[in-house]
Amino acid sequence: MMICEWREKTGLYVDGELEPAAQQSFTAHLESCAGCAAAVLEQQELKKAVRIAGKRFSAPPELYAQVRRQLTPEEKPGKRFFWQWAMTTALLVVMAALAGAWFTRSHNDNATVAGLMGHHVEMLANPARPLDVISTDMHTVKPWYQGKLPFTFNPVKPAQESPFTLVGGNLVYAGQAPGAELVYQVRQHKISVFIFSAKDVHGEPGAGPQPFTVSGWQQNGLQYYIVTDAAKEDAQQLKGLLEEANQ
Amino acid sequence: MAAAVVTRGQVSGLENKEFEKLAVPLLDGLYNFACWLSGNPDEARDLVQETFLKSLRGFGSFREGTNFRAWMYRILRNTFLTSRTGLERRNTQQEDEEGFAELVVSQETPELSLIRRADTELVQAAIAQLTPIFQEVILLADLEEMRYQEIAETLDIPIGTVMSRLARARKQVRTYIVAALGQKKVVGIK
Repeated sequence: MMICEWREKTGLYVDGELEPAAQQSFTAHLESCAGCAAAVLEQQELKKAVRIAGKRFSAPPELYAQVRRQLTPEEKPGKRFFWQWAMTTALLVVMAALAGAWFTRSHNDNATVAGLMGHHVEMLANPARPLDVISTDMHTVKPWYQGKLPFTFNPVKPAQESPFTLVGGNLVYAGQAPGAELVYQVRQHKISVFIFSAKDVHGEPGAGPQPFTVSGWQQNGLQYYIVTDAAKEDAQQLKGLLEEANQ
Repeated sequence: MAAAVVTRGQVSGLENKEFEKLAVPLLDGLYNFACWLSGNPDEARDLVQETFLKSLRGFGSFREGTNFRAWMYRILRNTFLTSRTGLERRNTQQEDEEGFAELVVSQETPELSLIRRADTELVQAAIAQLTPIFQEVILLADLEEMRYQEIAETLDIPIGTVMSRLARARKQVRTYIVAALGQKKVVGIK
């Protein structure tokens, strides 16, 4: 069987290592060669799978602390004593503040929400970067997460009158906790729905002004966050549909 | 391994700050890479610490315009290769430099659906069974998203070798996944 002469360049193409002109020619070639198109798709999927699976270990916080200590020049004893005293005092103040926050049950986890907002912004800023799973079919997107997450969920059921279109999803992490990011389109806006196990990630978005519409809630042991530049009403409507789909 | 501290005499405060700004964001990736290389979190931790120490010491002679990330990864890898585990693993490495055109697939790829079905654990097992020279190249390319030139600098090998190792590594990962999911024959791989 004749194999297309382009085929051996599949890896270079997928890695973006061809010269710009050759990269363009290959892209044009893909429209007329099903074999190369399939080979490229397979390589992309494999690359994506390795990218996700390769991020297996996270540096423990104590390693960060050890490295930062390594980078800190030695201080004179007197000065060191002062800093130890200052750090201890600061630590006590922080602990007191944290305890106060805990006792008043104000679980605002703004750091998590800020991280998720950052992720959403990154997605908006890089429209060319493919999602981990690209499909408008919930029966393709949902099974993709099997084995990758320690929980399951239901995307919004497609309905004719629904303004929301499922675009695909990503595997995301908050700290070391894996979660799903479902991406929906409403008109010209993208909506990210982040889903985590509530044991790992929880907390309401801050009450203050946010640069994006953010909403968070818990349901059946899962923590949901919606982050979008679309209107608050859109987020509310999608939240209602998700709650209904996961009853 | 005791945490060593580089004193003022070795690196100026300004360089120290600059180094910290550049290097600390790489820590998590370096640790992940070190875990894959050594297969041991404790050893990985030591490797990362030693890498930071060595690179901080050498930062004064680091030339602007050189790829800092490739430099850090190269130090980590060299540190690993001179460690006891690294020497043991290096002795068991098999140089396998078959052609880059190796990874030619036929036009019908039922394997595509198998790859899509592969869960993270299976892909991790597929990466873990690679010999070190293939493991490091696929991690740098697909996880760290390094360019071939950057990988060549990190591993100190020619670009052609990067390409052939990468093709071989991907082929082995693909074959492992397909075999594990019950496919007896890998169509199109010669």
